Amino acid sequence: MKRSFNIIALHCDGKILPETYELFNFVRDMGGETITFIILGSEPHVLMMARELAEKTGTDVICATSKYLENYYAQGYRDVLKGLVSTTDPCFICIPHTASGYDFAPLLAAALNIPCITAIEDIQDSLFIRSMFGGRIRAQARPSAPSAVLTVQPGAWEGSADYSGPGGTVRILPVDIPPGKTVIHGFKKSLSHDVGFCDAEVIVSAGRGIGSEQNVTLIKRLAALFPRSAIGATRAVCDLGWLGYRHQIGITGNTVSPRLYIACGISGAVQHISGMKNSRIIVAINTDRHAAIFRTATYCIVEDIKTFIPLVLEEYSRRSGNPVNGSS
Amino acid sequence: MLAILAALLYLCCSQRLKGAFSTGMNILVCVKQVPDSADTISVSEDSSRIMYNDGTVFRLNRYDEFALEEALLVKECFPGSRVDAISVGPERVRQAVRKALETGADHGIHVRVESDEYVSPLTRASLIAGFARTRGYDLILTGIMAEDDMECQVGQILAEKLSFACATSVMFQEISGDEKTIYVEREIEGGVRECITLAMPALLTIQSGINTPRYPSLSNVMRARSQEIEVADPQPADSLSMERSIIGLGYPKDAGTGEFLEGTPSDKARELLGILHELSMI
Ligand SMILES: Cc1cc2nc3c(=O)[nH]c(=O)nc-3n(C[C@H](O)[C@H](O)[C@H](O)COP(=O)(O)OP(=O)(O)OC[C@H]3O[C@@H](n4cnc5c(N)ncnc54)[C@H](O)[C@@H]3O)c2cc1C
Ligand SMILES: Nc1ncnc2c1ncn2[C@@H]1O[C@H](COP(=O)(O)O)[C@@H](O)[C@H]1O
Repeated sequence: MKRSFNIIALHCDGKILPETYELFNFVRDMGGETITFIILGSEPHVLMMARELAEKTGTDVICATSKYLENYYAQGYRDVLKGLVSTTDPCFICIPHTASGYDFAPLLAAALNIPCITAIEDIQDSLFIRSMFGGRIRAQARPSAPSAVLTVQPGAWEGSADYSGPGGTVRILPVDIPPGKTVIHGFKKSLSHDVGFCDAEVIVSAGRGIGSEQNVTLIKRLAALFPRSAIGATRAVCDLGWLGYRHQIGITGNTVSPRLYIACGISGAVQHISGMKNSRIIVAINTDRHAAIFRTATYCIVEDIKTFIPLVLEEYSRRSGNPVNGSS
Repeated sequence: MLAILAALLYLCCSQRLKGAFSTGMNILVCVKQVPDSADTISVSEDSSRIMYNDGTVFRLNRYDEFALEEALLVKECFPGSRVDAISVGPERVRQAVRKALETGADHGIHVRVESDEYVSPLTRASLIAGFARTRGYDLILTGIMAEDDMECQVGQILAEKLSFACATSVMFQEISGDEKTIYVEREIEGGVRECITLAMPALLTIQSGINTPRYPSLSNVMRARSQEIEVADPQPADSLSMERSIIGLGYPKDAGTGEFLEGTPSDKARELLGILHELSMI
């Protein structure tokens, strides 16, 4: 069987996203023999990025250029890639599972009428491994057709390219795409103020498992034990309005790496983990022994938040002889 | 009299009722039923399927609740609109459709799949496309992701099969006055939104937090109780649709390196404080 791979390079602000290099290592892990990068964009930036890819990986790059490709847009990527892969005829088309990656990957797969396997985290026994049910279940996948589109979970593979040999070639391919029906207006930063994550040594975070808005007080009281602490939250807690979105930690929120992270009632979905996994010490408190968060935690406590935090506070004041503050 | 006229004029000109003179939008919302919590499920011995137990409670996929709410908001903006809710699955998913009706959808559709087995996104999307193809929808909304399979695919594939424009992870949408285009803001990494305008008909996959989903009203609950749910027999839109790439299910192998604190709750509390003390945290 031929083992040819296309990696679709994603970029932002004229820089190649690190996830692109992670994919290179993913493909090498699969024993990829023929690898070709495909990068889409507008001149001149895209040419520089294409050269960087070729140099850092020793791999050939196809660089599709059009003034309409200055910014990412789904329909443009689908159309151009559909045309290109019919000439490269790859076995696997590999795309980072980022907000743009999962936006167009299924479109491309459907347009090519081939299967799509998303958010791959691992390879075991030549099977792709992906999470289900918030990381509680692992699924094994093997494409049911000779070729497939694959998206790879950011952070699942190392991103560094350790290559130092001769560079690959860059083939520049101006593509003709009609202006299309999508109008791109650009980007907008959604407002968010810092809640002191940068300065915090300790972050105590609330998940849906705290049960109700009132129990945010428990989280605040626990955080108040530490001199330099901040309150974090999962997206679920912010969606419920229990804490503001500026507290959100995860792939679409803040990325933090405090000395101590205490996860209270948090299941450990990959989107949350990617925002806090670099914390030095992680304590997780969850009623479910099999919760995914325990696979990331340093210390695992299978208890109910509602009864356990009061116990900790009680025990603390008994030790120190100080009554614990009401809230911060 | 004059006051009423003025109020009417104001209403028609205001943003919310910009569609006052339109005939309304024909909207489809895709709703998936998922188990309420993952601790009531297990994997069958042959690793081919998820098993539910007597304690398994099913509910709507949360992202689909946001999609449904967004559809109802569009309907309120464009009088004369209609919201259909569709779900693909075995008999039990009728509950999810019923819930959508109770929340305010006008019409419910159940695409019957006999077994409770995993069905691939391509198959689910093909089945929904097979139904939606002839119904003239202006707008289709799905959740960004199903909380159980976490594939983030069905919406996009459906859009492709129906040749609809598509945007994922939508946190804001606004249909233009002439109803030909839709402006959307999609959430990407790092607190940034990408702003684009798509031609209608369009499919949006909705991200959580775009709105605050409402609770069913008593009148809708009463109405939904007696309402027929349309049963659509599976009509996949094409041949590859019985695709299946997930071949086995199981539990994570890597247990992690964490240490479980043991003993009574008080033991654990003491041990935790001891650890924090040792680390000079407190
Ligand atoms: C594109 C995308 C981006 C996302 N970005 C983010 C992000 O940036 N950040 C983020 O957090 N999420 C994000 N999510 C959502 C993410 O997938 C999860 O849905 C979310 O993190 C779950 O939050 P949770 O752990 O609070 O809730 P749940 O998953 O509902 O978990 C609740 C946990 O609490 C436990 N529990 C219940 N009762 C108790 C109790 N009494 N005591 C102790 N434990 C209890 C349960 O066992 C369970 O493990 C994103 C999703 C998508 C699709
Ligand atoms: N069986 C189904 N029935 C109806 N809608 C579905 C079904 N499966 C997925 N969807 C829709 O597609 C979205 C994404 O699902 P998925 O691709 O499975 O993560 C969900 O939020 C639903 O809106």
